[in-house]
Amino acid sequence: MSSDFSNLLERLVKAGVDFVIVGGFAGVVHGCTYVTQDVDICCDFSAANLLALQKALSDLDPVHRMTPGRKKLQLTEQTCGQFKNLYLDTKIGRLDCLSFIDGLGNYDQVKRASSLVEVENIKMCVLSLDALIKAKRAMNRPRDKEAVLQLEAIKKLKNSQ
Amino acid sequence: MTAMAAKQNKSRKTKSKSVQADPIQAAVDYGIDVSALIDNAGRSCSERIKRHQIALNTAEKLWKAREL
Repeated sequence: MSSDFSNLLERLVKAGVDFVIVGGFAGVVHGCTYVTQDVDICCDFSAANLLALQKALSDLDPVHRMTPGRKKLQLTEQTCGQFKNLYLDTKIGRLDCLSFIDGLGNYDQVKRASSLVEVENIKMCVLSLDALIKAKRAMNRPRDKEAVLQLEAIKKLKNSQ
Repeated sequence: MTAMAAKQNKSRKTKSKSVQADPIQAAVDYGIDVSALIDNAGRSCSERIKRHQIALNTAEKLWKAREL
């Protein structure tokens, strides 16, 4: 099945998952022109939130895509505390759930650096342009260089409008 | 260095610095299609996400395609 990131995010919002869109997809929301193959979110890693996330994805066969044999996502209240990140694959796309963002900090700090956007009548939190630039600079991978250049140009265009 | 040459050199340095500081020029120099960024700036978040989805679906079809 093809990826459908809007559907993936809509499910999380409707299930009441507390999250912020970060990474490459946040760049797409701000106007970057590259194509990304996954959605990165920073979320509250409390058991209640992770179980809500699991429920939202339950009919999409979610698996831990980085584990040998791609283990099924089977979180319980007891096992939720073991994770700092979740690298998932589902029938409608890859979802990376992060508890910490380089250059910004933990979920609370990331949430403070986010703003609400409306996507097809659904409100979602997305990392602000400045915070995304900061995070991408901190990551400093070769692919982040182009992202930073695009984001800085977008910021300039926005300011000159 | 003559006074004139020093002045010209200073002017060149200043110009180079201002070009580097311009994010649009930096993007152009890197090879980014700034016209596509300008087009995106005029779109809503929903439109940007829709267009990204279309591009991703096309890319996924191409990755799955086999050579005949």
